[in-house]
Amino acid sequence: MSAKKDREARREERLQREAEAEEGSRRRRLLQFGSAAVFLAIVVVAVLIVVSQSGSDGGGDTNVEDAALVNDELQGVPQQGMTLGDEGALVTLVEFGDLQCPVCKGYAEEILPDVIESSVRSGEAKLAFRNFTIIDEDSTPAGAAAIAAGEQGRGWNFVELFYRNQGIERTGYVDDDFLSSIAEAAGVPNIARWNRERRSQRILRQVAESTEEAERLGFTGTPSFAVEGPATDGLETLSVSSAEELEAAIEGAG
Amino acid sequence: MTAVGEGNLRIAATFLAAFGIGVATYIAIADSGGGAPVCLAGGGGCETVAESSYSELLGVNVAIFGIAGYALLLGTALLRGDAPRMAGFCLALTGFGFSVYLTYLELFVIDAICQWCVASAILMTLLFAVNAVRMVRYVGAAP
Repeated sequence: MSAKKDREARREERLQREAEAEEGSRRRRLLQFGSAAVFLAIVVVAVLIVVSQSGSDGGGDTNVEDAALVNDELQGVPQQGMTLGDEGALVTLVEFGDLQCPVCKGYAEEILPDVIESSVRSGEAKLAFRNFTIIDEDSTPAGAAAIAAGEQGRGWNFVELFYRNQGIERTGYVDDDFLSSIAEAAGVPNIARWNRERRSQRILRQVAESTEEAERLGFTGTPSFAVEGPATDGLETLSVSSAEELEAAIEGAG
Repeated sequence: MTAVGEGNLRIAATFLAAFGIGVATYIAIADSGGGAPVCLAGGGGCETVAESSYSELLGVNVAIFGIAGYALLLGTALLRGDAPRMAGFCLALTGFGFSVYLTYLELFVIDAICQWCVASAILMTLLFAVNAVRMVRYVGAAP
């Protein structure tokens, strides 16, 4: 009788040990699978985020050229409104430009990239774009669209992309479709907000005010440049036509 | 305390995934052709989100990815066994992670809230919870 009880007790013990071992092994498998699942989910979500970000950083619109180039050029340089560069930089170089102006396009492609690389990226100076609308009435909505993009931290991407995709002046190419495609390729995150703000009186007034400022400074054409720094007496106008001259002006103002 | 039976978890996941398909399909249809879902509470948040550059992924509306995700989750809820239990958890975890990212975009980048997207994010969170319980409790158990 007691031998039988012992056998049963041992059997139950063995079964319990087996069940515990099985439960332990199940937990280990679960832990391994859970870790693999979390890793896989992180990878998939990371890929989705990267794809989502690259789509909004430009290049999403196939009609807009050089989005990747512009985004590379401006990558890592801070922007506030229409100012590119470190907010604390002592020297400010101001470009008074008209987005429809072909000479400004030439400056944007040939001269300013060197200045951005040498003086702005280093934090020596910041570069501000101000509208000086001289071509025709389309220059105002174009300038306002740039400022509205600047409200969302994409002002300089917008300006650079506009110049690189500029059409022939006074041909009416600056319509809503063109401006929207530039804004999207520039990576403006909230297009509905951009659409509201670019038509707002507040921003249209800024375009008119900077044009008046350029006229007050005595400028007659675009692009015109001015510089302000510790060594200047307020905003001083410049007469320059090369990256070296702009860099020298920045140095002189600092 | 009585443990929730796997059958109940699967029924809950089926309903949640079916609702998710409904919500994502509505967003996809409303977004198509330049439109936007109608925010029941007003405020224009849905329009703002729909017009944002983040509403598409590789040229495809994000809601289409949502429909696909919910459909796969519905499939895992309807099937028995370890494979659907594990697949359901993986899918729900991925969907939950992406929903967190999309909600972050709405709150801090796009600056607008679309209640349909919030509804989808809540459904995906619940699906994640249900599938997590199903996997932890029942993987290794009889189908």
